[in-house]
Amino acid sequence: MPNAASRRHMGARERLQRWLPKLVLSPSCVLVLFFVYGFIAWTSYISFSDSGMLPDYTWAGLRQWTRLWQSWTWGIALHNIWVFGLLYIVACILLGLLLAILLDQRIRAEGVLRTIYLYPMALSFIVTGTAWQWFLNPGLGLEKTMHDLGWQSFSFHWLIDSKMAIYTVVIAAVWQATGFVMAMFLAGLRGIDGEMIKAAQLDGAPIWKIYLRIIVPQLRPVFLSAVVVLAHLAIKSFDLIVAMTGGGPGNATAVPATFMYSYAFSRNEMGIAAASAVFMLAVIAALIIPYLYSELREPRP
Amino acid sequence: MSFLHIHNVHKRFGSTPVLKGVDIAIAQGDFLVLVGPSGCGKSTLLNMIAGLDTLSDGELLLDGVRINDLPPAKRDIAMVFQSYALYPSMTVAGNIGFGLEMRKVPRKARREAIERVARLLQIENLLSRKPSQLSGGQRQRVAMGRALVREPQLFLFDEPLSNLDAKLRVDMRTEIKQLHQRLRTTIVYVTHDQIEAMTLATRIAVMRGGELQQLGTPQQVYDDPSNLFVAGFMGSPSMNLIPGRVVERDGEPWVALDAEETQVLLPVRRDRDALRQWYDREVVVGLRPEAITDPASADRREGDVHEAELPVALVEPTGADLYVVTSLGGKRINARMRPGGAVEPGSAARFAFDVTRMVVFDPDSEQRIRSPAPDPA
Repeated sequence: MPNAASRRHMGARERLQRWLPKLVLSPSCVLVLFFVYGFIAWTSYISFSDSGMLPDYTWAGLRQWTRLWQSWTWGIALHNIWVFGLLYIVACILLGLLLAILLDQRIRAEGVLRTIYLYPMALSFIVTGTAWQWFLNPGLGLEKTMHDLGWQSFSFHWLIDSKMAIYTVVIAAVWQATGFVMAMFLAGLRGIDGEMIKAAQLDGAPIWKIYLRIIVPQLRPVFLSAVVVLAHLAIKSFDLIVAMTGGGPGNATAVPATFMYSYAFSRNEMGIAAASAVFMLAVIAALIIPYLYSELREPRP
Repeated sequence: MSFLHIHNVHKRFGSTPVLKGVDIAIAQGDFLVLVGPSGCGKSTLLNMIAGLDTLSDGELLLDGVRINDLPPAKRDIAMVFQSYALYPSMTVAGNIGFGLEMRKVPRKARREAIERVARLLQIENLLSRKPSQLSGGQRQRVAMGRALVREPQLFLFDEPLSNLDAKLRVDMRTEIKQLHQRLRTTIVYVTHDQIEAMTLATRIAVMRGGELQQLGTPQQVYDDPSNLFVAGFMGSPSMNLIPGRVVERDGEPWVALDAEETQVLLPVRRDRDALRQWYDREVVVGLRPEAITDPASADRREGDVHEAELPVALVEPTGADLYVVTSLGGKRINARMRPGGAVEPGSAARFAFDVTRMVVFDPDSEQRIRSPAPDPA
């Protein structure tokens, strides 16, 4: 019965074809499940435990959470992330939009300029932070250069001024991300119907009104994407601050991520660090999940 | 004094000429249709009138005022675009009123103007909707409303119906025509569709390759084409263009057309003097399908119908008419006959030629062979 045999053979092949993708994908699924979601669960548990230098699985209820919110440094870190995040997002979007609008005027050498603006994004935050630290260091960078050039009264001390240091971090972070935001806006601008702009010209609208009333309102999805991307970058920001200020002077530029690191690894307060980590995760999740939901769901018919 | 005068207008992109000296003048209230195949420069010319493109050479006069260097907003011109170009973030009312708002018309007057236009176009119930909630035909109306509300001196339409489906296109065409008859506005309209051009225009400008081929009323362009291109472009099904020869008979010019076995001889009625110079030379004879019929339905009022018996190659019934295909001068030619006649492919039928409608072209220059006559325009 060759016919039945070949049918059984086909059946086996079909079954293999059906199972192969699952077989190939399952190891990485298991790994992600364990190392990402497993450790999220583990960290959450630690935040309710008595852990100090080493994990200690004694249940401590909300003790670590209370200590976190009573901590003076955590207050500074939260204040800083507000200042940093807000300025970073607003400055990146405004500058990115402005650069995109200027680049959209069909100028020559646009490709070159676009690449130049995008380059900072290719650097790691450590490199950006170190470079800006050198540049803004009064004894090394901008201030010294100005003095050497003969402008003796020039002074720019923000990096070592505990009131202003957080703004230097904002400058460096904005420098890094503006090009990326610009690229997003440029893509949005290129999608706008040229006839619409002609129609607005005939309607008598000056160019700034065309942008304000007709073009920018159409970029709403780009604004949303930019805010979400920048907001989670801001909350996660760690390496830039470590490289530029190390959280200093004092605790002046501490942010939740540096707070978490120092409590976990140098202050032997793993429980508080875990609580702060879970808090950051919750904030990021609150930003990203609605965004992913709105992006990934089926478009309405 | 013409209302819109396009005077010797040139356009070059780099060294590539796009418009090579176009001259068109129309009167107030005229509906000018610029028609031609894509790439003929008609849209460029429209953009130049709107001020969205600059002239390389020449002059544009609107109501006696030179508008070459005026920015688009100062020209008192409104335009309807092919993609409608509605502002997606504004409501229909916002779209229609935007031009007035930019011209600082007070809110109350603006609302009245919007309502008046909405009533005219029957879109009153759509005023609070966004463009994304409208159908193609409704968007088209809003785009027209945006142009109408400003009451400009001149309307420009850039292929406004090409994004609509066939039935809606015919409806909107009728509406545009009605609107023009009611408002008596001056319109310049660009299309590549010769039926749109014929039905809408009071003046047609046929263009090709950046040059004006002919300017005239739809009937002039249809009956009296000035060259082979215009003859072939206007009309559907298109004019039969038959290679033939001019012969002399009793001192008068006739044209001889070769059929499969015989020869069809037709007397020349139009441009007879000019064709006397063409004895025994090759020409192209133009006859519209409706000028070749069955003998019973031939129009004999002009009294010049000549009949010939020819083999029938193909029969195409359209319901209203019966197109009968035969061969003359080595070309397939279409004759329009009454349906229900006993015409069978493979047999022979009698064809009646209305020679008063026959036009003759020079095959080399592709121009009409015309007797010098006082210019009808």
